[in-house]
Amino acid sequence: MAKPKIAVFKFSSCAGCQLSILNIEDHLLDVLGAVDVAYFVMAKRENHEGPYDIGFVEGAVTSPKELLELKKIREECKILVAMGACACTGGLPSIKNFAGTQREMEEKVYTELWDLKSIPAYGIDHYVKVDAYLRGCAVDVGEMVELIKSALLGVNPHFRPHSVCNECKLKENVCLLVNKGKPCMGSVTAAGCGALCPSLNRPCEGCRGPANDANAASLAQTFAVDLGLSRDDVRRKFLKYAGNTPEFKKGAEAV
Amino acid sequence: MSDRRIFVDYIARTEGDGAIDIIVGPNGELKKARWEVWEPPRFFEAFLVGRKAEEVPEIVQRICGICPHAHHIAAVRAVERAMGVKVSEQTVLLRELVHYSDWIMSHALHVFCLAAPDFLGYESVIAMAGNSDLLPIVGKALQLKRLGNDMIVVTTGHEIQNRTSVVGGFTAVPEGSELRKLKERLKAAKEFGFETVKLAAKLASQPPYPDLVRKCEHVALHDDKKYAINDGRLVSTEGLNVPDWEYPIWIIEKHVPSCNCKHAIIKDRDSFLVGPLARVNNNFDQLSPDAKAAAREVGFVAPDFNPFMSIVARAIEIVHSIDASMQLINELDDPKFEEPTFEYKAGESYAVTEAARGICCHGGRIDKDGVVQKWDIVAPTARNVYNLEKDFEEFVPKLLHLSDEELTLKCEMMVRNYDPCQSCATHSIKVKIRRER
Repeated sequence: MAKPKIAVFKFSSCAGCQLSILNIEDHLLDVLGAVDVAYFVMAKRENHEGPYDIGFVEGAVTSPKELLELKKIREECKILVAMGACACTGGLPSIKNFAGTQREMEEKVYTELWDLKSIPAYGIDHYVKVDAYLRGCAVDVGEMVELIKSALLGVNPHFRPHSVCNECKLKENVCLLVNKGKPCMGSVTAAGCGALCPSLNRPCEGCRGPANDANAASLAQTFAVDLGLSRDDVRRKFLKYAGNTPEFKKGAEAV
Repeated sequence: MSDRRIFVDYIARTEGDGAIDIIVGPNGELKKARWEVWEPPRFFEAFLVGRKAEEVPEIVQRICGICPHAHHIAAVRAVERAMGVKVSEQTVLLRELVHYSDWIMSHALHVFCLAAPDFLGYESVIAMAGNSDLLPIVGKALQLKRLGNDMIVVTTGHEIQNRTSVVGGFTAVPEGSELRKLKERLKAAKEFGFETVKLAAKLASQPPYPDLVRKCEHVALHDDKKYAINDGRLVSTEGLNVPDWEYPIWIIEKHVPSCNCKHAIIKDRDSFLVGPLARVNNNFDQLSPDAKAAAREVGFVAPDFNPFMSIVARAIEIVHSIDASMQLINELDDPKFEEPTFEYKAGESYAVTEAARGICCHGGRIDKDGVVQKWDIVAPTARNVYNLEKDFEEFVPKLLHLSDEELTLKCEMMVRNYDPCQSCATHSIKVKIRRER
């Protein structure tokens, strides 16, 4: 069997998710032996044209140029993976979608506006079909290795659809929301991180986007009524990493 | 006679999206030399307005996946200064350890994965690993990078974006026993640190690099008591010496057409360089004794104004980071959990850290309810863009005897020397060289 051709692409993002690929040092040489890295600009000078078997896309689409590139990438990749919060849901760049008009955002940062071509920030499935999602900011390295292995074997990766709460309970953590009165998003956020933040005594900020059964409106009510968060504070919680999703939008509009 | 043009429409092995465009006239005169940053603007400074003060460090560390901690710590210190929040000595030490961990990871990544392939004539570290003679070095380099990453995980919970450091302190602190395990690994990594300095010095001593010297102002943080990384005054080889929170007064930015990245100069002066070479040149005496010894052994004498020596400076800082981390682990001993606390207070302030690639500046204004009114971010790459163009002006005319292919590679190397991070700067690289014949 020929080695699968892998490509890594970057749109608006911090490059942290593609860095995660270089961060699997323990497996890196094995993985590199099992695949043909055909396109990975951050790591290689010689990069090759498609088609590719698996394409990893990092970052949100925030310009017309990126949108054109994304459509070409979709045609060139058999399996297209949205890698990280920005590519999955728009991530942090999407905060600008809810902070004012595009022109207002531009005026706050730049003086020569005529040359700027920027559009609201969305995840890549707003524009093209996506075959797999690696959630989180940044991605979980364990999930990434699982996805690469599954793709090599031709099976579906075993990702968990339930909420961070489930993982937190399995770790027997004291609940930050119920017991400590902290505004934790774990009950509405998709699992897979191993309840990383709550296990470190930090409330979940929802970077992995909504879980499959998220009741964001109810959590928003809890934040407002039980914890005394203001309407603006509740909106800031839900319009951070995944404000583009219908589930978190409901949370933002619930109080 | 036509112009000779070198154009690289993206620069590989850097982080983000940029281009080089160089046009040389028939008599070897440079008509255009520009590093263009294509990274799409991400509007952090715009959408931070209206967020809460405690969210700023969480959000801005996501400007860059390679130097998140530099952004995070600069922002957390600026917020704390603005709101009058005091933190414990343990928090200061832990933040230093987090940042040194990032330097070890980032310097190992740059020296071996991004820069060494150029000097050795490989297109990537993946290709380097294909040479059985080089494979052991690549293996050790990956181990060193892994050590940096493991240190970041122990101190902050996650390799890329920290989960524990917040305004006022840490939500969780590492176990002393975990830190001591890291110390053993750091001790074992020292030998490879020395090897790295020797290898870097050998690479940078190949022609034509030793002949490419350009004196310019080198700017870094300086602390009288220790090698500065998270705090200090802004100093330079030309006598700048001001508090870090005054950076907006001394470092002036200007918007340049056709580039998504602003140019920076020192007030009333010109372009300047930031990064490991600027740090080593300004703070050589404060390096760890072994780092100094390693530098002397390869004949490094500060100040050195050859930009290609930055790979050597990075390697020297690997040795220093290993020593500084072991020292910090000794001082931290068994960290105790301290509940991070703060109160909202109106204020305005600024702070600077040393990202692996140079000074990283953050600051702004917060209202009495803790809502951000204004936030300013200047990453190291933005500081270096203008200085790099000056490098092009100086060095390209000296390299015109090379073929277009070789000249293109040398131009890319000039860029990669700065370890640019265009996701910071806003993010990227293409080289265009055109020469008239």
